[in-house]
Amino acid sequence: MGSEAIFPLIGPSSSLRNGGVGWQGWRLGLLVEGILARDRIVGRIELKLFFWAKKMVSGEKILGRPSFSVRPSSAPPTATPFPSSGPLVGPEASSFRPTPPAPPQATGPFVSSGPPVGSDGSGFRPTAPLRFNDPSPKVHQHVLHPVGPPLVQPFASQVSTPPVSFRPQPPSVPMGFPAQRANFAPPSMNVPQAFSDSSFSAPRPSSQPSFTPVDSSYSSARATLQPPLPGYVNTQPNAVAQLPTMPSSYPSYPGSYVPPPPTSVSSFPAHQGGFAPPMSAATPPGMLSQHPGPPGGVMQGLAEEFSSLSFGSLPGSIEPGVDLKALPRPLEGDVEPNSFAEMYPLNCHSRYLRLTTTAIPNSSSLVSRWHLPLGAVVCPLAEAPSGEEVPIVNFASTGIIRCRRCRTYVNPYVTFTDAGRKWRCNICSLLNDVPGDYFAHLDATGRRIDLDQRPELTKGSVEFVAPTEYMVRPPMPPLYFFLIDVSISAIRSGMLEVVAETIKSCLDDLPGFPRTQIGFITYDSTIHFYNMKASNLDHLKISSLTQPQMMVVSDLDDIFVPLPDDLLVNLSESRSVVGTFLDSLPTMFQDNVNVESAFGPALKAAFMVMSRLGGKLLIFQNSLPSLGVGRLKLRGDDVRVYGTDKEHALRIPEDPFYKQMAADLTKFQIAVNVYAFSDKYTDIASLGTLAKYTGGQVYYYPNFLSSLHGAKLTHELSRDLTRETAWEAVMRVRCGKGIRFTSYHGNFMLRSTDLLALPAVDCDKAYAMQLSLEETLLSTQTVYFQVALLYTASCGERRIRIHTLSAPVVSDLSEMYRQADTGAIVSLFSRLAIEKTLSHKLEDARNAVQQRIVKALKEYRNLHAVQHRLGARMIYPESLKYLPLYGLALCKSTPLRGGYADAPLDERCAAGYTMMALPIKNLLKLLYPSLIRVDDFLLKPSGDVKELLDNMKRLPLAAESLDSRGLYIYDDGFRFVIWFGKMLPPDVAMNLLGQDFAAELSKVTLSTRDNEMSRKLSKILEGLRMIDLSYHQLCHLVRQGEQPREGFFLLVNLVEDQIGGSSGYMDWVLQIHRQVQQNP
Amino acid sequence: MGDLFGWLLVFTLLISLLAILSYQLMCLTDLEVDYINPYDSAARINMLVLPEFATQGILCIIYLITGHWFMFLLSLPYLHYNVGLYRRRQHLVDVTEIYSQLNGEKKQRLFKLCYLIILLVLCIFWLLWTVGEAHD
Repeated sequence: MGSEAIFPLIGPSSSLRNGGVGWQGWRLGLLVEGILARDRIVGRIELKLFFWAKKMVSGEKILGRPSFSVRPSSAPPTATPFPSSGPLVGPEASSFRPTPPAPPQATGPFVSSGPPVGSDGSGFRPTAPLRFNDPSPKVHQHVLHPVGPPLVQPFASQVSTPPVSFRPQPPSVPMGFPAQRANFAPPSMNVPQAFSDSSFSAPRPSSQPSFTPVDSSYSSARATLQPPLPGYVNTQPNAVAQLPTMPSSYPSYPGSYVPPPPTSVSSFPAHQGGFAPPMSAATPPGMLSQHPGPPGGVMQGLAEEFSSLSFGSLPGSIEPGVDLKALPRPLEGDVEPNSFAEMYPLNCHSRYLRLTTTAIPNSSSLVSRWHLPLGAVVCPLAEAPSGEEVPIVNFASTGIIRCRRCRTYVNPYVTFTDAGRKWRCNICSLLNDVPGDYFAHLDATGRRIDLDQRPELTKGSVEFVAPTEYMVRPPMPPLYFFLIDVSISAIRSGMLEVVAETIKSCLDDLPGFPRTQIGFITYDSTIHFYNMKASNLDHLKISSLTQPQMMVVSDLDDIFVPLPDDLLVNLSESRSVVGTFLDSLPTMFQDNVNVESAFGPALKAAFMVMSRLGGKLLIFQNSLPSLGVGRLKLRGDDVRVYGTDKEHALRIPEDPFYKQMAADLTKFQIAVNVYAFSDKYTDIASLGTLAKYTGGQVYYYPNFLSSLHGAKLTHELSRDLTRETAWEAVMRVRCGKGIRFTSYHGNFMLRSTDLLALPAVDCDKAYAMQLSLEETLLSTQTVYFQVALLYTASCGERRIRIHTLSAPVVSDLSEMYRQADTGAIVSLFSRLAIEKTLSHKLEDARNAVQQRIVKALKEYRNLHAVQHRLGARMIYPESLKYLPLYGLALCKSTPLRGGYADAPLDERCAAGYTMMALPIKNLLKLLYPSLIRVDDFLLKPSGDVKELLDNMKRLPLAAESLDSRGLYIYDDGFRFVIWFGKMLPPDVAMNLLGQDFAAELSKVTLSTRDNEMSRKLSKILEGLRMIDLSYHQLCHLVRQGEQPREGFFLLVNLVEDQIGGSSGYMDWVLQIHRQVQQNP
Repeated sequence: MGDLFGWLLVFTLLISLLAILSYQLMCLTDLEVDYINPYDSAARINMLVLPEFATQGILCIIYLITGHWFMFLLSLPYLHYNVGLYRRRQHLVDVTEIYSQLNGEKKQRLFKLCYLIILLVLCIFWLLWTVGEAHD
């Protein structure tokens, strides 16, 4: 190893040793990918290509794709596997119980091993459903004018009406106008200029009978309880309904002001006063104020483009005056901003790329006033519903069309000029030549005549087939390697059995047949290797292998790999041997009493086996690594550490071995998924590091018992094995001039300042990144983002997936707030907060979240305080109405909640690693899970389950929502909790649980029984599981009042309630409101 | 004469420290502009971290032996900082997080560099002083 292998330019001849190819592989990928086409880099590419070509010619190693064979290299002739392995076979070898041999597979090793998908130069994959039947001149328009509808003045109708607030407000609030300027007129002077305008001259009928004269003093207004104004009353239904719709609110103001009909272009509907609580209930008499404005004031309230929350009592008083029911709750789940997608139909779908605000600020001063994270969340391989798959384009001989300077890929936003001979890059505006093969004439409007056949010019998401310039080694085959703990705890918990069965059942569904490779290592205090190579050894006069051969290595200090070439086998060739092995695996170790775990050495051995090809390493760990390098010690049971500066050390890996190992694994394109099962402390913080830097994932099953958790493990492991995976990938996000992505958050390793190395990617992984402005002022109207993921598909094709998105540049802060995307913001927030827990106290991380929300709302308030009379109301943009609640939920989530006693350290770390990779939808569901009541439905004689799931009524997550006569399902995407009320009709419980209905529920499992009710319930659960397949939710049954189970499973997760030392939703909002109102 | 020899020794040590630090800084800036990859960069920097610390320790000891307690006091903060880093196990660059640590590491090394240059100026002053005294 050493620098030679790492830096092949220096020592080319040695670079092939020890998997130098892999390293070189990404290096060339990186260079070709390179965003900076500086001369130096171009020079290197040529050098590298030259070097590569030289190697091909010299026959040192044939790298050309057509000649790629399944076995990476033939075994060295000196290898005499079986006889020489004699001394390695330790005493354990005798415990290997052969099972009846399966008939040996007769297929020759290389019969079907050719690359299944050749480089057949067909331009389009017929499988990709391309819908070009809409030639869409509007599409073309966008190509020419990508800016889209006017953005700067979206409130055309409202700008003309001075947005003065005439909502009822407590006039007696002394500190209600923090930002009131000196020249701000008293109420009587508040007549807007526009009122003299003719458009407001319509006679006002007696809609304000009780309007006090303009000069009525506040004191009089406070003293008398005026009857509610018609206008005000009319707004109330809207307010309660939480989603005011523009048209419906107009008729309530008779004859006063006819607003222009909302056009489809204006994507910024005015969101007015969403959550003012009903006056009668929430406000004390004195608060029911009058509109201290001139006639016509009522409808002026419409002009407020923000939502607000009225506090009936003064801020600072003990009794909260806001109605809990009126607080905003995301009961519809994640709502993606639609208006944006409509404005830019050429953008990629929001499931792939979401910006925290779709209005990019044009100056750095604006950025500094936007206190929320500015960035994006990318999920490059998100699952698309059928019919919307990403089209695959093969440029074949043309080569992939990219900008010469900034290396942007051709996309719908490039413009063709010069009669179609040139195209202008939308990111760096360089004029590029159109290659001859790609040339097409332009029609009269300037659009290419072949636009309909070019998905890359009409779709935001597209996939290119990459030619050989994008690889330095043949595309790797899908490779799965299993590292399985077989110590006593693994046997006792039944983990081994479930794992072996699951792998066996998935063998035929592994992606990439017939190239898929597979291998196994098991370990306790020694390391066991398995030779599963079938046949092909005839020249050694050894009969072909029908059973795996086990080799035991007990020297942990100096690990060596016996038969390095036979430990990884082609699955299609050795299918029967692998099957036999998996059948016998649980029985092989059933009497094992070994308690040690030589995890570190086993990991090293797996690394040595895999380093030639890369692939996916699945680790099944049952206890704390106790032997050899990388052994860990018990920590985390010290209560005193919490709350001190040393607290964070518990959440980062203890031994540098793990970080170093993770870096090496990524280098050789190995992704690690960690499955941890222990009932005791296993130091997930250290083990998870392996997954974090290799683009993997952590699955944690505390107290695993196959009878209880087997289904979850089976489901999640088989999804991990069978979902479509992208191998040896790198990802880069390019963006227009003047902005730059500065920090990246998620499970990956950075290979260069802006290149994410992802040994394996799949649809369940998302990555977040933050933007910063490089220039003080952006001059462009639109900014473009392009995500490029270069990867090897399981079929053996090298591909580039491109997602392109454009966003307007704005100079107005309120526009940024209006276009904010709560989901993306919360996703970035949670990643930042979890990262903060790795270097700070939990409390600091929580405070940081709160402070950022406060700052953002304060800025927003200041923005509006000048024109509006805000009083004691809390105001926030409609787009961010759920932000405070998600912030609260984040502070109460497993990685951030409480202190020592509130969550076991391992669970905290595992949840942290999981949340760092979760896509937005899953994260929001985890933060604010759904709670639904089902007993009514179960009792109904008929009822379609589908109907229930479609109109599922999610309840606020508070104890008040739980009725003791009901049956509730709590679903956070990772588990179900079924809550049985105390007064639930006994027959319901009887039907669902059978005879055990009165027993303690911790011992009862839910299974489908032979009655209608039980069948219905399992259908509901099945339906809920089908919504998202990435995790499997196990059922936990809980009865009301059954402590501590109830508290542990459910009550702790009711985020709106006050639990322990944390605040409830109401307190949280009041806290934020108070801090917002404080002057700086 | 021994004094002069001592100062010469200090001078060479300071120069070597400066060389080590500038090399590390170079690796970091190279990494920033994408000349080398994080693995190489971290390996090269980490290779020189302990030599740097050792050299600095020897420097302090030489100050003590030659009786220049004022210079020793001047270089004490540096030593203290290094020992602190070592005891917190933060002395090595972390290859997995090198990009997020880049600015901090660069700042730290730039600061050390300035500090060493001041020490070097003082050292040269004392060196010339001793040479002058020896001539007189």
